[in-house]
Amino acid sequence: MNAEAPGAQNAVEASGITKSFGGALALDGVDLTLAWGEVHALLGENGAGKTTLSNIIAGIYRADAGRVVVDGVEHQFRNPAQAIAAGIGMVHQHFRLVAPMSVAENLHLGSPQTPRLVTEKILVARARALMDELGLHVDPTAKIWQLSVGEQQRVEILRVLSRGARVLILDEPTAVLTAQEAHDLFGVMRQLVAAGRTVVFISHKLNEVLEVSDRITVLRGGRHVVTRDTAGATARGLARLMTGEERELDVTHRRIDGSAVLTLAGVSARNSRGLIALSQCDLVVRGGEIVGVAGVSGNGQTELAEVITGLRPLEGGTITVDGTDLTNASARQIAAAGVGHIPEDRIGVGMVSSAPVKDNAVLRHYRTDELSAGKQLKRTAVVRFAERLVAAARVQTRSVHTPAGQMSGGNQQRLVAHREALVGRRLLIAAHPTRGLDVLATQEVQSALIARRDDGAGVLLISDDLDEVLLMSDRIAVMYEGRIMGMFDRGDADRARIGLLMGGHAEEAFAP
Amino acid sequence: MNTIRFERRATSDARRSAAFRVLGAVAGILVAGLVLLITSRNPFTLLGDAFDANFGSQRGLEETAIYATPILLNGLAVALSLRMKIWNIGADGQFLMGAWAATGVGIHWAGPDPLVLLVMALVGAAAGAAWILIPALARAYWGVNEIITTLLLNFVALQLVLWATLGFWRDTKSAVVQSAPPVSANLPVFPGLDFLHIGFIAPLVLTAVLWWVFRSSTWGFEIDTIGGNPRAAAFAGINVPVRIVLVMLCTGAIAGLSGMIHLSGYAFRLNGGISTNYGLSGFIVAALAGGSFIGLLVGGLFIASMLHAGITLQAKGLSTYIILAIYGAILLGIAIGEVAARYRMVRERYDPATEAVR
Ligand SMILES: Nc1ncnc2c1ncn2[C@@H]1O[C@H](COP(=O)(O)OP(=O)(O)O)[C@@H](O)[C@H]1O
Ligand SMILES: [Mg+2]
Repeated sequence: MNAEAPGAQNAVEASGITKSFGGALALDGVDLTLAWGEVHALLGENGAGKTTLSNIIAGIYRADAGRVVVDGVEHQFRNPAQAIAAGIGMVHQHFRLVAPMSVAENLHLGSPQTPRLVTEKILVARARALMDELGLHVDPTAKIWQLSVGEQQRVEILRVLSRGARVLILDEPTAVLTAQEAHDLFGVMRQLVAAGRTVVFISHKLNEVLEVSDRITVLRGGRHVVTRDTAGATARGLARLMTGEERELDVTHRRIDGSAVLTLAGVSARNSRGLIALSQCDLVVRGGEIVGVAGVSGNGQTELAEVITGLRPLEGGTITVDGTDLTNASARQIAAAGVGHIPEDRIGVGMVSSAPVKDNAVLRHYRTDELSAGKQLKRTAVVRFAERLVAAARVQTRSVHTPAGQMSGGNQQRLVAHREALVGRRLLIAAHPTRGLDVLATQEVQSALIARRDDGAGVLLISDDLDEVLLMSDRIAVMYEGRIMGMFDRGDADRARIGLLMGGHAEEAFAP
Repeated sequence: MNTIRFERRATSDARRSAAFRVLGAVAGILVAGLVLLITSRNPFTLLGDAFDANFGSQRGLEETAIYATPILLNGLAVALSLRMKIWNIGADGQFLMGAWAATGVGIHWAGPDPLVLLVMALVGAAAGAAWILIPALARAYWGVNEIITTLLLNFVALQLVLWATLGFWRDTKSAVVQSAPPVSANLPVFPGLDFLHIGFIAPLVLTAVLWWVFRSSTWGFEIDTIGGNPRAAAFAGINVPVRIVLVMLCTGAIAGLSGMIHLSGYAFRLNGGISTNYGLSGFIVAALAGGSFIGLLVGGLFIASMLHAGITLQAKGLSTYIILAIYGAILLGIAIGEVAARYRMVRERYDPATEAVR
């Protein structure tokens, strides 16, 4: 792909990039060439080095060895400002916007081009001009906190482009987006490359990469595996390159007529803003089956998991677990009844990032006789319990004494998932359990859910990924605006009908 | 050309952090020495005098321990709430209310000493707890920031004490005009010592208790979990608002007890100046100790000896301003050491020839 003709130089040529963090090699002599006017996907499992490589190209980290040539000139960036001056900008996994400030203010914050003396009116006008020029629109007077995640991301992209970036690196931009927002983002990316810019799209989602990119570079374990054209690539082949092995999840679906573990009858609840989030939900989960809840995020799934696990009060209805009425019981009573919960926001709700791995491992079990006598914690038993859990969940951590927040997202998720599987002797509520995980970790978590089911527990799987629901579930419920719109056996479920129900089109879905 | 950069360390290490704080204190003392040199005083003699004041005599040691008692107790109160990431800025107010309530008992009732002291301690602790009750409820159930509420109540407590000592409890029998009458029962002095009252045991015992609670009890585990992530604590089935209220009441009770001990062991009568910023000093120690109870014990004794040395040096003609500047330099040194322990220096080779011209 090295075009030799003058004026047609590559946007970026990085070669031999090596970087280690305190002895651990994160990148080992990686090459990456970006042409002008392409969407270049950077594909790899969690920890493959995608973020580290991007951070080096964008001047945030310095490489231990290797060269970065931008538009034919070699650079040694010492900070992001120098990279952006050379035309390279990056949008990070975690946004860096100031929430109480307006879009226009955020676009101008810290920019050398912002006029010294300025009024809100001038800022808004400048923001509008920029948006028109780039064909990317967000209300410039809106405050950041009022925007959806997709709009916030758009502001981040505008901010980077307004600094003159011609190479735009997007680090896992779709991880936080709904399917529709992701689709809109792909439109923006195509538009940018059509104007001659270069976009680096980082992801571990194969179908997205296949959909939007022109070329693909695969990293694995800090090494460059391959760079190829997207045309002709298959999801299966790429997955093999990413993981280095081929594995298929083996799911046999079943029909269970056993007794109900969980029974919801006429359950209603409000969300945190006081609006009705669940209305009159009836749902049964039997031991030994996985019931999938399909639906677009924000249709009451979060509240459903919360009412069942005692984190949110019911407005009406009853919840029964194994025949015992647990309506509005405390979270502790419900856990004691054998109900585990892999929460949607595992870092914000399921873990204490600043606490050591061992404390997180025993978060749900520290009051058992194994781990405490009266009010006294058995400290060696705690460490032993944690070490067993870490080994069983194949969590990679230096030790059980290191803060849990220092582990990668995949390891945090494995820890929480296995811990909750231990709690969920009878019932396991799994809310988006594989969101953000790479191929291998996804399969591990899915296998853990299936193992729990095969042990006779009921599993309630909440996911906005319809493929996952169809893959895993023995029965499927569809949620829309706080209601359960339909219930299918896996054998009778068809994608089109579920899709219609997810959009609230009940009449069409059930039309003969 | 080489450049030097500071990089945040991935891990924090308690021992490194403690060592850096000691280094910071030493650096602060060196800076203070320089200032003294510039103002043409001999820092070595003064350091010698300061050392002598504290450790040169039994009296010095005892007085230091007397100062250390309220500082340590208030520091423990603040440190306990800090484990929950709650800032009790009102230890001074709770201290005053503890002393105030204990005075109410002590000036009106002349029963057997041990009984009077016991009731005074209970009433003092209860008053301290009551003084933080509203901030605690407001914080736990409505999310009202406790920094402001506890701070403002300090001023209210001081006015209350002034009102009592200038008004309804004013001692009209003696020449001490702005003070309540002496309390009927005093804490006994340690057998064999001249000044130090047995209240000094309280912070030592409490340090040991809290150290154990946070090292090996489910209470400590739950409090630390709330401090780390209250949502995860609720997820784990901990009743977070109730715990917040209980812990805040405990911190108020400790500070209130501290007021009672200081009253009955050292001041003997209530007046507006009974707390010479013991709450603030305790707060500083707790903040610098970063949640470690052992660190707090060391730091509290250190600050008390600094205060005591300051008073001695003042008697030798050093101005209050210079003494305050020295305190400031030392505390700043410790604070910088605490932060510096989290970073490391990285030296980088940097070749300007390859830097692009743009
Ligand atoms: N700041 C850091 N300190 C220590 N190790 C790091 C740091 N950043 C990344 N790593 C390690 O480097 C490797 C690559 O990480 P990363 O670039 O974030 O991967 P990816 O973005 O592909 O998931 C991982 O093993 C990760 O643990
Ligand atoms: Mg990454």
